Amino acid sequence: MSAPRRVREEIVIEPGTGKGLPLRRGQVLRIEQVAGRQCADFNCFNLHDYKEYLHTGRTRHMHGLHPTRGDFLWSAPPRERPMMAILEDTCGTNDALYPRCSAFLFEYHYGLAVHTNCHDIQAEAQREFGLTPDDVHDSLNFFMHTGVDANGRPFIADNRARPGDYVELLALIDVLAVPNVCGADVMATSNFELKPLRLVVSDASEADWAGIPSMPRYRNQRTPADFKIKEIKADRALRRDPSYTPQFVNVPVAVSEVDIRLDADEREMLARLVATGRFGGTDGEVLRHVFFSWWIGKFMHGPKHFRSS
Amino acid sequence: MSEEAVKVRLNQQQLELVDHTVERGEASDREALFRRALREFWQAQSEASTKDRR
Repeated sequence: MSAPRRVREEIVIEPGTGKGLPLRRGQVLRIEQVAGRQCADFNCFNLHDYKEYLHTGRTRHMHGLHPTRGDFLWSAPPRERPMMAILEDTCGTNDALYPRCSAFLFEYHYGLAVHTNCHDIQAEAQREFGLTPDDVHDSLNFFMHTGVDANGRPFIADNRARPGDYVELLALIDVLAVPNVCGADVMATSNFELKPLRLVVSDASEADWAGIPSMPRYRNQRTPADFKIKEIKADRALRRDPSYTPQFVNVPVAVSEVDIRLDADEREMLARLVATGRFGGTDGEVLRHVFFSWWIGKFMHGPKHFRSS
Repeated sequence: MSEEAVKVRLNQQQLELVDHTVERGEASDREALFRRALREFWQAQSEASTKDRR
């Protein structure tokens, strides 16, 4: 049996607040309900390079709208590596769709000019580490119960988190993890009441690591060493670089025609596919559509994001 | 085999994917790979439509 985790820190964050927690690789952050029905917004940065941060969009791409146990929290392009792993999720209603609430949102929707909101709470918590309000990024929203209706519109449903429900996040690199008590008390996000959340930092056990698949390193998971400009721009104004010459990749894109000879049966198959009108207008367009549809279904790695017409 | 070939327009990146797939041994050449894709795609479509009719 694996040794239990050693708890390093335990705090409670109150309504209207959040906390930046430096975590070393191999440490686990538990975000736990106290009274229940409370959304926790979340930001995450590489502890040694804040320009690498959690990308909710890439996480959504890889794991869908509701990341849960076994999924990763990915950093933004061009870094794109797992920063944290979701070890446990006892509620199962996390949201990767909605942006953080903001001061503007409460003023615009409700006429409330001064109001608790996740952007400002995150900014204030991140200020402890020298970050500015511009550094707050799109949040991942734990315990936020959301969906998309038949018309493609997102919606917020009643929060289902019970007292004691928790998510556990294993740091796969050194990170600054920043959870906050969502400040939205006039939306359904936390059932119209702000409640505290418990945060527990502990060392991962061997059992925690056992469930984490090894990830191959890809050439395009880049670092600043790969950048043409390696320094962080430190002033606000944008000016043209007179020495700039574009170096786009694979440009010009050259198109050529490939001849594919078919036997009679294959000709007939293609003709019938063309006749459906679903795959293109010409034999060549349809055969190209068929080829890539087939390739995606057979060989593409990861979520396919494709439904053939 | 038909004398008249189907002309498929592909850019160099798409051709790279085709050629990688051939190099992996999925078909003997580009043409064989496209023909395999067509036959297997057709088979999958036929099976799906049979299933839908049940």
